[in-house]
Formats: sequence, structure tokens, C-alpha cells
Amino acid sequence: MTQTVTIKVNGQVRALALTPQASLLHVLRNDFELNGAKYGCGLGECGACTVLVDHQPARSCVIPALGVGGRSITTLEGLPLLNALASLDPLHPVQRAFIDAQGTQCGYCLNGMIMMTVALLLKNAQPSRQEMLDALSGNLCRCGAHVEILKAVELSVQYTRELDGARDAQSAELAKSIPLPLKTNMTHGPTHGPNLGKAP
Amino acid sequence: MLIAQTPFKRQDMPFMRGVIWVSRPPVSPPPGASGQPPFIASSLDEGAEVLVALWSDASATALHGHVDMGTGLRTALTQMVAEELSLELSRVHMVMGHTSVSPNQGATIASNSIQTHAKPLQCAAAQILQWGLDQSAHYFGVSVSDVLYGEEGFHVLATGSQAMGLHDQASQKRALSWSELLFDQNIALQLDLNAPLKDRLAHRLVGQAVPRVDIPLKAQAQLTFVHDMRIEGMLHGRVVRPPYAGVDSGDFVGKTLLKVECESVSHVPGLRAVVVQGDFVGVVCEREEHAEQAMKELVVHWKSWPGVGSLQDTEKALSQQAFAERELINEGDVQSALQGADVSLSQTYVWPYQMHASIGPSCALAQWCSDEEFKATGTRMRVWAGTQNPHVLRADLALIAGTVDASVEVIRMEAAGCYGRNCADDVAADAALLSKALKAPVRVQLTREQEHAWEPKGAAQVMKVRGALDKEGRSLAYVFLSAYPSNGAPTLALLLTRLIEPVAKVYEMGDRTARPPYEFPHLRVRVQDMAPILRASWLRGVSALPNSFAHESFMDELAFEAQVDPVQFRLQSLSDSRAGELLKATADKANWISHTRPQQQARDASKASEAAWLKGQGVAYARYVHSKWPGFGAAYSAWVADVQVNPNTGEVHVSKVVVGHDAGMLINPQGVEHQVNGNVIQTTSRALKEEVQTDPQTGTVQSLEWGSYPILNFRQVPVIEVLHMPRQDQDPLGAGESSSVPGTAAIANAIFDATGVRFRNPPFTPDKILAALNPLGHESKPAGAFKDPSPIGLGARVWGSKAQVFFAKHPLRALTLKGVAKGIMGFGYQSLGVMSAAFLCALGWVLYGPNLNANLLLNAPVNLSMYGPKMIERGAQLALLGNCQGCHTQEAGLLNAGGRPIPTPFGVIYSSNITPDAQTGIGGWSYKAFERAMREGISAKGHQLYPAFPYTSFKSINDEDLMSLYAWTMSQTPVASEPKPNTLTYPFKLRGLMKIWNALFLEQTPPQLDNPSSALLLRGAYLVNSVGHCSACHTERNLLGAEKRGTQELQGAYVNGWYAPALSVNNAAPMPWSQEDLYRYLRTGHTEYHGVASGPMGEIVQSWSGVPDEDLLAMSAYLGAKMNPAGLSDAFLQSKAKERVDASKLKEEVNTGLSAGQRQFEGSCWSCHHEGGGPNLLGTNASLSLNTNVHSATPNNLIQIILKGCPSPAGKDLGFMPAFKDSLNATQIKNLVHYIRGRFAPEQAPWTKVSEEIDQVLRAQ
Repeated sequence: MTQTVTIKVNGQVRALALTPQASLLHVLRNDFELNGAKYGCGLGECGACTVLVDHQPARSCVIPALGVGGRSITTLEGLPLLNALASLDPLHPVQRAFIDAQGTQCGYCLNGMIMMTVALLLKNAQPSRQEMLDALSGNLCRCGAHVEILKAVELSVQYTRELDGARDAQSAELAKSIPLPLKTNMTHGPTHGPNLGKAP
Repeated sequence: MLIAQTPFKRQDMPFMRGVIWVSRPPVSPPPGASGQPPFIASSLDEGAEVLVALWSDASATALHGHVDMGTGLRTALTQMVAEELSLELSRVHMVMGHTSVSPNQGATIASNSIQTHAKPLQCAAAQILQWGLDQSAHYFGVSVSDVLYGEEGFHVLATGSQAMGLHDQASQKRALSWSELLFDQNIALQLDLNAPLKDRLAHRLVGQAVPRVDIPLKAQAQLTFVHDMRIEGMLHGRVVRPPYAGVDSGDFVGKTLLKVECESVSHVPGLRAVVVQGDFVGVVCEREEHAEQAMKELVVHWKSWPGVGSLQDTEKALSQQAFAERELINEGDVQSALQGADVSLSQTYVWPYQMHASIGPSCALAQWCSDEEFKATGTRMRVWAGTQNPHVLRADLALIAGTVDASVEVIRMEAAGCYGRNCADDVAADAALLSKALKAPVRVQLTREQEHAWEPKGAAQVMKVRGALDKEGRSLAYVFLSAYPSNGAPTLALLLTRLIEPVAKVYEMGDRTARPPYEFPHLRVRVQDMAPILRASWLRGVSALPNSFAHESFMDELAFEAQVDPVQFRLQSLSDSRAGELLKATADKANWISHTRPQQQARDASKASEAAWLKGQGVAYARYVHSKWPGFGAAYSAWVADVQVNPNTGEVHVSKVVVGHDAGMLINPQGVEHQVNGNVIQTTSRALKEEVQTDPQTGTVQSLEWGSYPILNFRQVPVIEVLHMPRQDQDPLGAGESSSVPGTAAIANAIFDATGVRFRNPPFTPDKILAALNPLGHESKPAGAFKDPSPIGLGARVWGSKAQVFFAKHPLRALTLKGVAKGIMGFGYQSLGVMSAAFLCALGWVLYGPNLNANLLLNAPVNLSMYGPKMIERGAQLALLGNCQGCHTQEAGLLNAGGRPIPTPFGVIYSSNITPDAQTGIGGWSYKAFERAMREGISAKGHQLYPAFPYTSFKSINDEDLMSLYAWTMSQTPVASEPKPNTLTYPFKLRGLMKIWNALFLEQTPPQLDNPSSALLLRGAYLVNSVGHCSACHTERNLLGAEKRGTQELQGAYVNGWYAPALSVNNAAPMPWSQEDLYRYLRTGHTEYHGVASGPMGEIVQSWSGVPDEDLLAMSAYLGAKMNPAGLSDAFLQSKAKERVDASKLKEEVNTGLSAGQRQFEGSCWSCHHEGGGPNLLGTNASLSLNTNVHSATPNNLIQIILKGCPSPAGKDLGFMPAFKDSLNATQIKNLVHYIRGRFAPEQAPWTKVSEEIDQVLRAQ
């Protein structure tokens, strides 16, 4: 028996007819054709499937899709939209930091590590080392990239701070010249659109 | 886009234009390497194997037969090819493991891809550049040595042009491009493995830290992983694996399936097929969640099978295995040396079964090609896989497809890291099988449980060492014996379908690094080759890692006997100078403290919290020597590990590791550094935590998720310092595994240094350490450790669960009244007036007498206009308050259309359709009929209803409310739906019996409130006891299913395996309930002082979202007065809760994994149920130290929630909990339940009979 649910993912709203068995992860991967969130355990133990639900990190594998109707979901693909303004970089600063710090080995857990870091920095722009460990301690990495991941988190703090500085300067500049609502500047968007995983 | 990125097939190469390419003839099978898995030969008709092709746009395609398993191999190979071609990295496109184009270089194993298999690529690239130089020299009319290739193309060295002079045409042109050189030619070269490579001093890319080419794509979620591959028309497959989890040899393999009930999943939407072949069972659906659903709900019957026996004692299990012994070395005269030695020593080291434990369960997509495509291209099947062995897999897939190797195309895509072969090949074969069956593209994703259970494990191993010292304390003799069960692990689908026979093949595999790296005048090394027990494959460090663990532990033991410092002792007999230099440099960097006895240093005793910890330092060295004996060496590695050991808890913390590493030339130093870090972390994890849990009887794999197979957490990562030996002048050596090999011994040696106790059987878990440090038992026990609960019963038990057990055990007894009586007497704890003679005498009349109740069915539809909208609205609210839909709606069914099964001790009752459908619902009921049903339990047609319908409470509903309920009922949309007939046992199926029941119980005095003191309390009492019918769940029932009145009213009861807690002062919650708190709980399904409403109460709170505040406030006031007569305020609760949580937080030992239960909790529960030290995930995280269920007299609710989870919480902010019923076994749940009780409700007695309760809940599923 299907029920209809309206889900907003990375700003895109869709109504889907689903049975209770459909997890948010299923819907993100199969209906929205997004690659970011990965299936790791289906039990919320490993964190590979992490997404943001109303800006709070959540394990999409244990969330029934029917349970998040009307809520706003952000996936790895949607991160650039979080800071489209103020940055010419098509990537979110945390993504950039993980690339620069080479913060992964095989890359399967990478989504979870990035999303947890984004969520951490949304709440706390200057986390201590202990707070970084707390935030990531529920995410598993099997390859042993922990050292590089923690470096990437530290770099994320720096990049985010720099971007915030740039954003403040830009806002001030914009306020002086064109007093337009800042959000209208979203059309620039990421230059590399997320690859939806179609056959090459 | 570069031309190099354009896909092509190997056969196309001769017809391409504007290209120079180097190939080699297809590899014919090498002479049989005895005792090793066979090498799969290339298919001759596929033509020459292309290695490097350079195109006219100066881009190059390089092809390698191996795959990048997340180690950065792709980047390193790109560097090597770009170096030899003098191209920028971005102009080299690397294609790895794609069978249609990549050369066959066998399996990606033994960290060998660069050390051995990069050479052909380097030579091919060098040949291409040489061709360009030769052609240019000819064009410019200069000697080849005067031409250079650079950014601007081929040009003449300045000095060369001056010296030699150029002819006119050439002098006008300063440089030649590849495009000009190639035109539209097709230049084909044969590989020359003697082609001269670039001088190492001229390297500009090799040796440089280069960022990995794949990470930007992965960080942006672009398509790299096979899991993300999607094609048009793709279906979703799942497999159902046999019960012999993790076993792949024995006659039962492929022959254990008894029956598949395909109709059991016919209701699953979009089901396309159930595919059964031998023991292979798969389901295919259009949507993934439905494939999962079909996998879970498909009823499959398996025959019994013999099991592989207990693996609890690894040494014993391996000693019982048949073996063939090989002598590898026999130098000197060990016998005499041992006999004459002053000091000799003999030890046994035992390695456990371990897992790759890839973070992503394996996935593959297979596409059966149409006949037209097959005719046109020769490709019968295309498979996207995360395989480690593309060409080997292709041969397996060809068997499944029923075709030749060359007709199968394996496209290797990235997969989650594995450290040897996981289930990537298995799932590719599963997908191929399903795709062939459906002639459609099928994606198969294994579950976490399947990956854990079936991945070929890292084999267990037993090493026995005997050694002796001479009079000067120097190494004299060494006798080494290693027993290793082989690891062939044929692709699973081939075995399950019996396309190949499940023969346990014995290979020669246990000999890697069997020779100790130290000089012994008398040395004997033997290995016992044996058949596999559990399915196994190479796992990082293969047999070398356990062998080195034994060598390096034993060397430490000998050093202790010799009273020589462990580093010094090793250096004395380490003949390889590279090894000696490495060991010494590593020890120096680590500030090695020379010692001859265990140091057992306490940490800074001035800090009280640290005083208990002992610290120690351990060393080990190894060079990973792999491949067929005597094999060849990869990189050298030495470890110095610093550990801290808590003698009171047994906890071991590896605080720092200094790793020396000599990998010769480093292609990508950054890449090597990351590999070393990864190896250190993974090895620390394996040494401290990892061991596959197996069933004590059958030996099957029982670790199906991360709680039962914990791996190292971020908090436990040691500080790592890497020392790279500067050897850029040497050949590169494999660096993928080498630094893991000495790790476990270094840690064991450090633990010995800290404690003076030697551990020879990893993993070094706290319980193991504690037991060894306190051999006679120790006062201090780890917090929350499982204490064996006393077998004493709880005393008075409630009826429901006992009766269920009784009737479950004796089903026949339930069939007769005599049986019931006997059952009742059997419990004998209540005086049973109900069993009076009158009851028995009346039976005959009641059961078989006429139905004298009037038929109150209407002839015409109800006239709804007589009920105003307000009345209907109030009725709707009351219906929600009474949660009518809770019983009258089946799972995923239409609202109130009935059919929900309600299990009772007397059988299953299916709820009725209460929509106003005239035929199947209650559309024909008059108000009188409705009233009679609600108050007397008699249907409109006059037959008795069962008191599962709580008319005993509803009879107290006042007239106005009852009328409102009727109005609402009749205003619903009618649904035609006939519920299933009840399946009650005799005599309960006789409805007439209920007349007696009603006579006995319906007329009881309704519950009364003691001294109602306000209108609010009266209102609350009315709602609770009438339409709310709280007592239906919260009051214990007697043997005939009637609620017990009086003092037992609302004192808590069991309902279908859940415990509905007492709504009185006897409530077991650790915190009292205030009226405000009750209201919050009823309104939101959660309070921070008590936890979350789940199970049946969760559904009720959801239903109450439509109930107005004033009703809930009244109910909370009434219940609050009963549960908290002292009237404790919210402020009091707040301070008391804070006290409890603070006390509990103090005890939080984050990720210490002291007991099996704690480890399970930390792996499975902790992320969401930590006490502040973990991530802030969606959902509430109230401390379990306040949780009612954890403090309850019995563990039912906790067990229920662990097994079933909380998929639809009462409120959106509460968070979701997964069900663990398919992931944990009864023992794991028991450990978890005991741990949670001990940890969070320490003042409560441990629960008894937890196992029985778990069995009961599991059976009821």
C-alpha cells in the first residue's frame, strides 16, 4: 500500500508514492539518483549514509522515507548550495578541505565524514580537537584514513573561517552597491553539476 | 576531453588513426605453479594486449590489469607512465581492470602492482617516447641525443643545433608536436622489457607527492563506485543465502535447499522473479526496497546440515584438521642444538579468523546483452564489478553465462576498500545469474549481514616455535611450524549452483614470511597445508602477518631469556643491512629505552586518574615476503609501539606508533605515507579488537554487523610517526601491506613491557587482558561487565507470558477444556472461582444453545444529517483517543477496515471492519446496535464479541460521547473489506462462551477514583477508564483474559511481549512522573526524564496527536495523581534527573569495549545513545540512565525495541531506530541487554532469564 510523501532534497521538491519499506537512502539513491549517501550497514552503525535533515546529521538508512515528509534534506551533492554565495569555488569548503588534505582512502566512508564535519561546523565554527573526535566517533573508516580525515576537519575549520570572512566582506560590498536580497545570487551554482550516475 | 579518454576495445587498435601503441602477445598460462591457485590465461582470439597508446593530441591511455582498491595505485601508475612519456599527469588516462582493453595481469594481490606489474607500462611508455625522439631527430637531422621532448614538443637541444647545424626547412621550425609526428598513422610497437627507462635523477613526477586523482570525484559524489552505476531498465536483485554462513566446502554446499515458497512474496509490489538454482536463491524487483522486502519475507526451507564444528578454540580446531606437511628449511642440526642448548623455549601463537570488513557491502550490475548486440559485438554479458581480479572473475562469469571468456566484459569500477578479496566477485556472479535468468539488467547489493557472513575471511593460523640460545645468549636454533587453512574461496554462486564442485582445495599458502629474518645457525621451518574451514581469502599481510607475529614475539621472549635489550638482540642477528639500518633508525626516532626486563612503568603517579595505567614500549621488525615459496620481498618495516594498559580494567591503548619504512624508490611519497598510516591503524584494530564470532556448534559466522565485529574508532587512533628511509636510488617495493606485518608483535611486546605478561593470542581485548593479569580473579571488575545472573526467579509472574509459554510448549492442551483446566492448575497461583461447577454445567447450554440476542441491523442507511459537524468532530477526537484504528487497521491497510491480527493466548482474532460499509463493515448498524456492542459486547447481528474488544471499558462512555463516536463512525468513507476469520482454538472459538465471561466480568464495578478532588481529575478518570481504556494494556488479566480489578488495577501487565508499566506509585521508572511530565509524554511521545514512547504506546501517542490538549491534560492530572501522589514538581524532577545523568556520565567509558556486551553496545547503539561524548545525530538522545524500560522489572520492552526498532516514532523529532532482529543472535542480544542494565540501572538487580525472554520474543515473531 503506497502513501504519497513530499520530500525536499537539495532544494528540489518531489512527491513520491512509496511503501513503508522505502528508506530515505533508497529514495535519495534511486528516485533522486544521487550518489553521495552510501549504503553501509542499514543499521545506523557506520555513518556512510549520512545526510542532513533540516541541517541536522542523520543516518538515512534507518529513516523511513515516509517519516521525513516536508523536511529539507541536504546530501553531499547539495553542499555547494549551502554556500553558493561568497565563493567562486564550486565546492563547499569542507569538500575542498577533504580533497586538499586527501582525507580518505577508498572513499566509501567519505560522504559520512564530510557530512558530519559540515554538521559540526554549522553548530560550532571553532571546534576543539575533542569535539572533532566526538563528532566523528560514530563514523567508521576501515582503510585507516583517520589521520588524514582529522587533518581534513582541521582544514575545514580554516577554510570555513576564510569563507565566512569573504562572505562578510562581500555582504558589506553588496550592501553598499546593490541592496538586493543576497539569496537571488544562487544561479551561479556549482560549475560541475553532480553526476547522476548515468552510464558513461 | 582527451582522445585518451575515448573508450575503445582492444581489437579496434589496429584500425585507429593518429596513434602509437605498444602491445604484448596475450599471456599464455605459465607452467603450473604447484600448490597455488591457477592463473587464468588470456583468450588468444582477443588479440595482442595493449599497454600504452599515445594519441595525436599528446594524451595517452595506459592500461593495467590490476585495480585500485583505494590505495592510490591509479595515481602512482599514472605518475610512472607520465614520467616515461614526459607528459603532464593530466594527459595520462589510466584504464584499470577492464577486461575488454586492460592486459591480463592476474589478481591484484601481494602489493605487487608497482613492484612487478608496472614495468611493462613503464617500458611501453619509454618505447613510445623513444620513437618520437628518433623520428624528430631524423626530421631535424640531428642525433637522437640532441632531441628533447618538452612542453613545446620535440625540439633540438640548443647546444645540439649549434654544434651540428640544421638543414633549412627544419631550422625554420622550432618544435614538432605529437600530432605532426603521428599524422594519421597507426604505429604499433611490440613491448620490449629491456627498453631503457628514464634516469632516476631526471625524474620530475616520480618521487613527488601527488594528490590522488580520484578523490575530487569522490568528494563530489561523481560516478566512480560500482554502487552508483545505473542503466536504463535496471532492476534490483537481492539474494537469500543458505544457513551455512561463511562455509564453502562440503557435500551439503549447493544441496541444502528444501523448498522455496514463492507465493510468500507474491504480495510484494513490482516483484519480477524469484530465481532458484541449487542453493542459490535470488529475488528481483523493480524497486530496491521491494527487493529487500522480498528477501526478508521469502519463506525458504533448508535441510539440516552437519556444520563445520566448533571454532571457539582455534588451536584445537586447526589441530583437528588433516594436513600435509612441507619442510621449507632445514639448516644445521636443530635437534642436537636444542638438546645441547643452555636456554631453550617453546611457545604457541594463535591467530584468529578476521575480516576484510569493507565499509560498503559488495554490489554489482550485470547486463545480459540482446541477441542482436551479441551478434554485432560478440559481447554476451557486461558486468560492472568492484572485483580485485577482473580476468579471473570473467572466467567465472563465462561459466554462468554459458559462453567463452571473451564474450563477457568485466568493467571494473571502484568499490569500498578491501584488503584482499571480499564479496565483490560473489555479488558480480549473483548479478550475472539473475540478469541471465531475467534477460534484463540487474543490480545486486549485498546486505551488511551477508557481506560480514560470507566474505572470505582472513584465515586463522597456529604457529609453534621452539628456539634456543647459546652460552653467550646469542641466537642458536629456531624451529618454526605454521598451520594454515587454505584460502581458495571459489566464487560463491558457482558453488551454490554446483557449476563447480565444492571441494575443499589444499594450497601451499601458509609459508609467506615463514623464514625468520634473523640468522640462526640451526634453522628448521615447516608448514602444514590444510583445507579451508571457514571460507577464506588473502587478507592484508596474508599468512606473513601471523607468522611474523610469532617470529617477533618469540624474538622478544628470547631477548628476555638472554637478558639483552630487544632491539639490540635483533640487531645482533639481522644480517640484511637495510633491515638493520631501518630498525636502528626507527628505534632512535622512537626514543627507544634500552631494557632487559619489562619496564612496567606506571604513568605519572601524581595524577590520580592516571596512576593506574601502566605503560610499555615494544618493537618488531619484518619484511613482507610473499608469493610462492620462497617468494620475494616487498618493503621493509619496523614498529616501535607505545602502549598503556589499565590493570584494573584490562583496557589497552596504543598511544603512539613510530614506523620505519623502506619501500625503495617512492613513486608518490604522500601515497605511501597514507598507506603506512592506514596499515598502522588497521593493524592496531586487528591486534586489539578483531575476531570473527562463530556459532559454538556449527561454526558458522555470527558477526554480522559492527557491534559484533568492532573496529578501531577515531578516539583510539594512535599518534603515528613515519620514518621513510631515503632509498630513491633503489627499485620500488610493494608498500600496500608491508607496514602492517610487524604491528601485532610490537603491540604484544609493548603489553609485555607494561605488564610482564605475554599475550600470544590476539585480539588483546580487555577481558582477555584482565583475566591474564588476575588469574585468580580480581576484585575490580569492569563497569557494566556481565555478571552471571542468579537463576532465582522473580517471584510472582504475570499470567500472559506464562500462559503463552505453556500453550506454546503444549499446544494440544490448549485444544481441550481439560487442557485449559490443567494449564490453569499447572500454574496454581490463584483461586479460580471461574472454574466453578456452575461454569461447567452451563457450558452445554451456552455453547450450543440458540442465539437469543436481537438482530439490530438497519434496513436503510444511517441518516447523518441528524448529527452536527461538531458532534462528528468530537467523535473523531474520541476515536483517536481510543486509538480505534490501532486495532482496526492492518499494517499498510486502509484506515479502520479491520483485518489486523490480534494474538491472544487463545488464538488469533482478526479485527473487524468499522467503516460504514453495509456488507463488510458496520454501515448497517443502528445506534442501538452500536451502543450494545460498545457496552455489552454483542454485535448487531446478535453474536457475542470477544473481550479483546474492550467493551468492559467502553461501557463507561457517557451517552453524549457514545453518540459522537457513532456519528463519526458512520461519517467515514466506507471500505469494502472482509477481514479473515478468527483462528481461535477450541473451545474459545465458541462465541457463546462469552456469555458466561460477561456474566463473570462485565458487571464488575467499574474502577473508581479515590476521593476525586476536582472536576479535572474526574474528567481524567473518566477518559482513562472509558474511551481511553488504559487498563486494557496496563492491568493484568486473569486466566480467562479479564482485567483484574481492585488493587491490581493499572499495576502493569504484559501485552503481546511488551510490558505496559504500572500507572501507579509502583511504576519502575528511575524518575518519578510529574503531572507536567506525563502531559509532555502523552503529547509528544517523549520526555527527557523518561525516554521515548515506542511499541504499542508509540502508536497510541501518534494517534493522540489529534486529541485536544484539555483531554490529555485531564488524563495527565488523573494519572499524575495516581503515580505521583506526593505531587513532586517539575523543578524537583529536573534537579534529580541532572544528578542521575551526571553520575552516569562520570561512568561513561567511551569506547573502551571492556566486555562483549559493552563492545556490542559501542558498535551498535552508542552513536545515538551516548552520554555526550558522541555525535549529535537526528533524534533525541535522553540518557538511558533515566529510561523506564532499562529500569523495569523485566527486560521485555528493551528486547522488543532492540529486535524491532522504532521505525515510526511518535514524533518527528524523536529519531528512528533500526530493528536488529536480522543482525544479532540471541547471545549477542543477551550480552547487550545485560550490559545496558548493569551500566545504566546499576542500582537494580541484574535481570534473570534474559535468554528465555529473548527466545520468547523471537518465537513470537
